[in-house]
Amino acid sequence: MSIKLALAGNPNCGKTTLFNELTGSSQYVGNWPGVTVEKKEGKLKGHKDVIVTDLPGIYSLSPYTLEEVVTRNYLIHENPDVIVNLVDASNLERNLYLTTQLVEMGLPVVLALNMMDIVRKNGDTIDSKKIGEAFGCPVVEISALKAEGTQELISAALSAAQLKPHAIAATFSDKVEAALQQITQQLPGALRNRHQRWMAIKLFERDEKMLAEADLSDATRANLEAIITKCETELDDDTESIITNERYEYIAKVIHKSYKKKVAGLTPSDKIDRIVTNRILALPIFALIMWFVYYVSISTVGTGMTNWVNDVLFGEIVPPAVEGFLVSVGTADWLISLIMDGIIAGVGAVLGFLPQMLTMFLFLAILEDCGYMARIAFIMDRIFRRFGLSGKSFIPILIGTGCGVPGIMASRTIENDHDRKLTVITTTFIPCSAKLPIIALIAGAMFPDSTWVGPSAYFLGIGAIIVSGIILKKTRVFAGDPAPFVMELPAYHVPGAKGVLIHMWDRGKAFIKKAGTIILLATVLVWFLSSFGWNMQMVDVEDSMLATLGNFIAPLFAPLGFDNWKFAVATITGLIAKENVVGTFGILFGFAEVAEDGAEVWSSLQAAVSPLGAYAFLTFNLLCAPCFAAIGAARAELGSAKWTWFSVGYQTLFAYIIALIIYQTGSLINGGGFGFWTAVAFVLVAALIYFLVRKPADINSAGKRLNRKVSA
Amino acid sequence: MPLTMAKAGERNRIKKVTGKDEVRRFLASLGFVEGESVTVVSEIAGNMILNIKDTRVALDKSMANRIMI
Repeated sequence: MSIKLALAGNPNCGKTTLFNELTGSSQYVGNWPGVTVEKKEGKLKGHKDVIVTDLPGIYSLSPYTLEEVVTRNYLIHENPDVIVNLVDASNLERNLYLTTQLVEMGLPVVLALNMMDIVRKNGDTIDSKKIGEAFGCPVVEISALKAEGTQELISAALSAAQLKPHAIAATFSDKVEAALQQITQQLPGALRNRHQRWMAIKLFERDEKMLAEADLSDATRANLEAIITKCETELDDDTESIITNERYEYIAKVIHKSYKKKVAGLTPSDKIDRIVTNRILALPIFALIMWFVYYVSISTVGTGMTNWVNDVLFGEIVPPAVEGFLVSVGTADWLISLIMDGIIAGVGAVLGFLPQMLTMFLFLAILEDCGYMARIAFIMDRIFRRFGLSGKSFIPILIGTGCGVPGIMASRTIENDHDRKLTVITTTFIPCSAKLPIIALIAGAMFPDSTWVGPSAYFLGIGAIIVSGIILKKTRVFAGDPAPFVMELPAYHVPGAKGVLIHMWDRGKAFIKKAGTIILLATVLVWFLSSFGWNMQMVDVEDSMLATLGNFIAPLFAPLGFDNWKFAVATITGLIAKENVVGTFGILFGFAEVAEDGAEVWSSLQAAVSPLGAYAFLTFNLLCAPCFAAIGAARAELGSAKWTWFSVGYQTLFAYIIALIIYQTGSLINGGGFGFWTAVAFVLVAALIYFLVRKPADINSAGKRLNRKVSA
Repeated sequence: MPLTMAKAGERNRIKKVTGKDEVRRFLASLGFVEGESVTVVSEIAGNMILNIKDTRVALDKSMANRIMI
């Protein structure tokens, strides 16, 4: 018979680290609360019949966030055989609050005191035996990160799973216990099971979900209400506060007996926060860090290596070797062309950016692991709130710098429905890792000496999010204040080399995998369309099917300054995966052939379009509809096709408008003269300003009508 | 007075958490309950980082205003 083992605990207490250790998998671990948004399952290493479930972190079993609902439902309805309650021992008091609730559920619980290494290092001592006695469950000291104590934990959990339900330690005052006893007696027979104590407490607290679930008769409800009101009058407080306070009192008593803390006062984390989240320095520090990350990865370290990969590896080494081999075995011309001009040029162009991406991933992993990422949400909340978003929207955006798909999924931690939709729509404005090669290519080819193009892409993304936040928030659909911001901040710590490298590699691996599959297919398709004419004969690029198609679309982009058909085609292939933009350039501009001299690659780009047009192209590709995978993820989170179409439509329109404004005003400043499209750009700027400053739509119906008139 | 008036570095005791809804319940699960002491680590325009029960919790102004010290 299989055993179900559930991992429960506060957010960011190391559940996923333990999960990976127990199951041998490598699930994503992050140093901020809310990394796990859905439960994950795996088989216990060495015990194939034990299923381990990693539940999202929660502070209590009273559902406030979606994660809490997921966890609560799992524990009630799936009846795991044993709950491993992971507790951050360096923060015992708050963590045990959840423990008091978990033990009430009547399921076998094993308490795992995690981060014991930190506790010992601080010179604190914990008497785990006493804690175990207080909560009536076995306690194991572990360090999930250093894989200490996990074997003991497994054996404790497996033996606990065999136990029969037993009486649960009384944790409340006599008066409350008496009331709970009375409530239990009122429960109908069907509900008198192992969960009965928990049910009684929830009913005592007037928990709405529990009242609905229990489906009690009117008479029973009246009886319960009488018991609750009586207790409330006696203790002069509402039952919910009574329970909360008594839980903390009980914990305080337990901790007093079992926990010796050595130092008090300002912790190193607090001292760092004093500076990093300082009201004056916070933003400059953030901007500086982000500028540094993007500058170093795109313009210096990364570029050096990327140039080597592009020019030497995929320029001098691979192509001649492969071509030589193919010719020597007498391969057909078209196949040589497919491999050389299609696959090596396309996939090679994409892979060439791997060093830059890995540098970038390394920095992001360090920022994340040390605990700074969570602070960014706090710093940005103040600003985001002004634009109708909460700081919590910033976390999906930050994850989105790696990949938009998990970014969109991370929006699930946002409690408010409007905020969540708004975040899903705007998250992909931030340059994801797949857009990095586009930035790097444009920055390298068109602006070789500038330090601002790389970082500017990042700030452009943030700007687009802010502007969209304001505009959309003022529409009727999204009106209303963002949900309040509450977030636990992890302690700062020196990032571990292993963890950081694993993060970097995980993201890098996904990129390589994509290059080998979807991008490979797309490059083959682009090669085919660009090598053959409509008569199915191999022709010059300019006479190919792709050229006809591209030329058909290109005029659309004329106002944006890049009406070259190759750019139009690259934009379209970018919908499949953003890396394709660069891959397509690789094929269409024949990178593999000219790559012997790096400058030549870039000069062919320079010849095709003006720097301003290239920047508009970059802008459009950064902001327009994301790749299919991200659109799919957005579809899942938005929950309807209508919303998905709105999202994609809005993004593309917004991208077009911004790119147009940049190109047209830029040309005017450069002395390009005033034309029809310059006028359009001005009108669009005016419209944008109007949408930014207009009065927010009212939610009531009178306001609705009024507003429609105004905007019509 | 509301917590937003507290100075950074000061240690204060919570007198009351106002309101009576799920937000208050959530604050309670984070440790914001009557009688608990809370330290302001830093403050930006009313948004605060607070030290409570050995953890750091970031709250926005509207939330911090509901905590009376």
